[in-house]
Amino acid sequence: MIRPRGRMLNTVCSVAHHHFNPSSSLVLPTTTTRSLSLGQPLLQAAKQPPAVVPDNRVELFIDDKRVLCEPGTTVLQAAAMVGVEIPRFCYHDRLSIAGNCRMCLVEVEKSVKPVASCAMPVMKGMRVKTNSVATRKAREGVMEFLLMNHPLDCPICDQAGECDLQDQSMMFGNDRSRFTDIKFEGKRAVEDKNIGPLVKTIMTRCIHCTRCIRFASEVAGVDDLGTTGRGGDMQVGTYVEKLFASELSGNVIDLCPVGALTSKPYAFTARPWEIRKCETVDVMDALGSNIVVNTRGGEVMRVLPRPNEDVNEEWISDKTRFAYDGLKRQRLTLPMLKNAQGVLEPVDWEAALTGIAAKVSRVEGREIAALVGGLCDVESLVVLKDLLNRLGCETLCTEEAFPMNAAGTDVRSNYLLNTKITGVEEADLVILIGTNIRFEAPVLNARIRKAYLHNNLRVAVVGKKTDLHYEYDHVGDTIQALEQLANGEHKLSKDLAKAKKPMIIVGSSSLQDADGAAILANAIVLADKLKSGSSSGSSDHDWKVLNVLHRHAGQVGALDVGYTPGAGKIKELKPRVLYMLGADAGVVTRKDLAADAFVIYQGHHGDAGAEIADAVLPGAAYTEKSATYVNTEGRAQRANVAVTPPGMAREDWKILRALSEFIPGASLPYEKLEDVRHRMADIAPHLLRYGAVEEANYFKQSHALVHGSKRPSHSGRALAPPQTVLEDFYMTDSISRASRTMAKCIQAARHHKTTKYSVS
Amino acid sequence: MSSLASASGLAPRVAGTMIRREVTPLLSSSKREVRLRVLNLYRSWYRQIPHILMDYDVPVDQDKCRAKLKEIFMANRDVKDIRAIDMLVAKGQMELRETIEVWKQKTHFMAFFRDSVQVKKTDFMSKFLDQ
Repeated sequence: MIRPRGRMLNTVCSVAHHHFNPSSSLVLPTTTTRSLSLGQPLLQAAKQPPAVVPDNRVELFIDDKRVLCEPGTTVLQAAAMVGVEIPRFCYHDRLSIAGNCRMCLVEVEKSVKPVASCAMPVMKGMRVKTNSVATRKAREGVMEFLLMNHPLDCPICDQAGECDLQDQSMMFGNDRSRFTDIKFEGKRAVEDKNIGPLVKTIMTRCIHCTRCIRFASEVAGVDDLGTTGRGGDMQVGTYVEKLFASELSGNVIDLCPVGALTSKPYAFTARPWEIRKCETVDVMDALGSNIVVNTRGGEVMRVLPRPNEDVNEEWISDKTRFAYDGLKRQRLTLPMLKNAQGVLEPVDWEAALTGIAAKVSRVEGREIAALVGGLCDVESLVVLKDLLNRLGCETLCTEEAFPMNAAGTDVRSNYLLNTKITGVEEADLVILIGTNIRFEAPVLNARIRKAYLHNNLRVAVVGKKTDLHYEYDHVGDTIQALEQLANGEHKLSKDLAKAKKPMIIVGSSSLQDADGAAILANAIVLADKLKSGSSSGSSDHDWKVLNVLHRHAGQVGALDVGYTPGAGKIKELKPRVLYMLGADAGVVTRKDLAADAFVIYQGHHGDAGAEIADAVLPGAAYTEKSATYVNTEGRAQRANVAVTPPGMAREDWKILRALSEFIPGASLPYEKLEDVRHRMADIAPHLLRYGAVEEANYFKQSHALVHGSKRPSHSGRALAPPQTVLEDFYMTDSISRASRTMAKCIQAARHHKTTKYSVS
Repeated sequence: MSSLASASGLAPRVAGTMIRREVTPLLSSSKREVRLRVLNLYRSWYRQIPHILMDYDVPVDQDKCRAKLKEIFMANRDVKDIRAIDMLVAKGQMELRETIEVWKQKTHFMAFFRDSVQVKKTDFMSKFLDQ
């Protein structure tokens, strides 16, 4: 029988989420909520109204240190406020409270038994002792029981070196045990579960903290994990053998305090103490999740999340975490030129650049075009634009399209996630238009789910019905439904107009074809309508409504430095030279170019782009260069060098700079990366304000332009995001397409669909 | 032993006051004294050059050696810290002794001229193509 533990603990849940909303509806004993200012003489209070709001914080003492904290805080959190770390296994900041590991037992004065500090709310005048004899004895006892049922296989355990159980048994455990096994029955042993190609389970090591279960049901939104049996026979697992079908499944590896859940691709490959860590950002989606790339000997061993409250909290998607093996396969390592027989042949850099320069100098500037892909960093985009502009070329396009009628990309607020990722937590309504956000931005979807659970966020979807892991109002499939909503004629219109802080999230995947203009125009009209409706009631006039969710990490950066979205201009021009910078989506083919066109591909993977190229220049992937990426909010973030580019590959801006030297009259003045960054600051200073969001606010003007022109016509098609089921999630760019792990995931997801245990 | 203020003249300035650090001298206690030591070392090398060339079978003449001697000394012209200069002088004396006593081999002596060292170019294009 599966018992999802997270669900059973509703009574203490509200305590856990106080970090999310400090004024959550928590019922506490009256003694704790009584205000401290009650002792003041009433007369005095009447004469001089207190300048500050009455302080209702609770005073308690942790190891004789005075702490003042909000009622509803737990003892463990209060202790953390004064720097006292209480050992724990089951407690986690972002999950509900289980209180079942008992490691956080502390002695409280006048309490008969030790109390579990993670589940105990603070009370007035409490005196907590976290290092008394009784506390230490309690911990030792808990530790002895845990180790009695835990194998001593640290030498072959992947968690060794970063294991909470290992660390805490050294800190708080006893050096001997009463476990003797006189009947030679062996320790508790549990069969391993097969839950997919990403998470390896060694369930004998499980200490039943239930973090993975709570993560799956609360954050990921899949109730796949649970417990069976009780007492010594309790087991964590899926009950039947099936896939842990979540796009966030890798996070349970980080959450597991022991080595019960570890990474399958990383198994037995490296030890934490031989690893170098490089803090950088991810490019697998447009959120720019913060990550730590772990390397050993110039090889990426694994990718872990880095906490950033404004972007990814501490979660990352499975593509971010596991697609790194794609960085080692299908790489371009040598410059190549087509020989007389029309076969690509490896050459050295000088020959490659000379050959390309000869072809480029042959044609006029206006016969040249550039097409950039979704993984390009701002540095290389700027250098490429400078180089081609010097040659007289103005046709620089991105593969990802964006409607250019009305304001188009001239108004920055048109193409950003203006409300920011954290805005989801304040919003009371999210309307998703033409996006399967669960696969286009899994971490953002987790945040929407969080707000759905704890803030009563209402979600409405325009587009194909997909499983988002929370309930939503389905407005309709087609553009007509969106139009009705924008005109206020839909049956949900009145209901949705009541929202005080509405958010509209338009998926850029729906803006790719001719209907994109109509979709965006209707979204802008709807946003204006909702904004005027909400601002009359609320005091927050700065609340932004319109948001665009991009799919590619480099897109906002490219638009910020002035690239034209979409390859339409290239198809009109039929250029004689095409420079493709990481363009692997196959948007432009040979048919769109002049008959004698010369195609140059610069990038890191041998994918669609390199296939049609006459010259191939090997560039660096995101782990191999110091580069700037602007995420979908408009937040500039910097990726750092974790490993060196393979073979003769070079950082991308350097390749372009070197090429400029071979083309007469085009030599660029950049010697160092700082020179390029100075140039970036000249174009747009926000590109160097790392970590900060540069906001945009020209909604009125944008709306006026839409209003002034005729509403674009459309085909009335259904809004169907390209990614609908789990297997669509894993391969979206040249890196993940080269990844074996991702291929295995797709295989597993397809197999899962054929089993009777798959939902939907 | 007398102590002296940091002679580097680069002591940090905090809140408008010069912080003076008391340090023990290595050998010299004044600029004048350390200058004399440097000149002494230079003179010793200069006078030894003909004898050294008799001891070693090396493809350099006296003029080249004198030019190199001057070059090596001038390379440290910007060192102002008395203690650092003292240390350099001590090292120079060691080198001199090793050379005179023929503790060095021919190659060790020729290492002063660094004629087999290839200087890497530092401009962007050379670095890009040679890397």
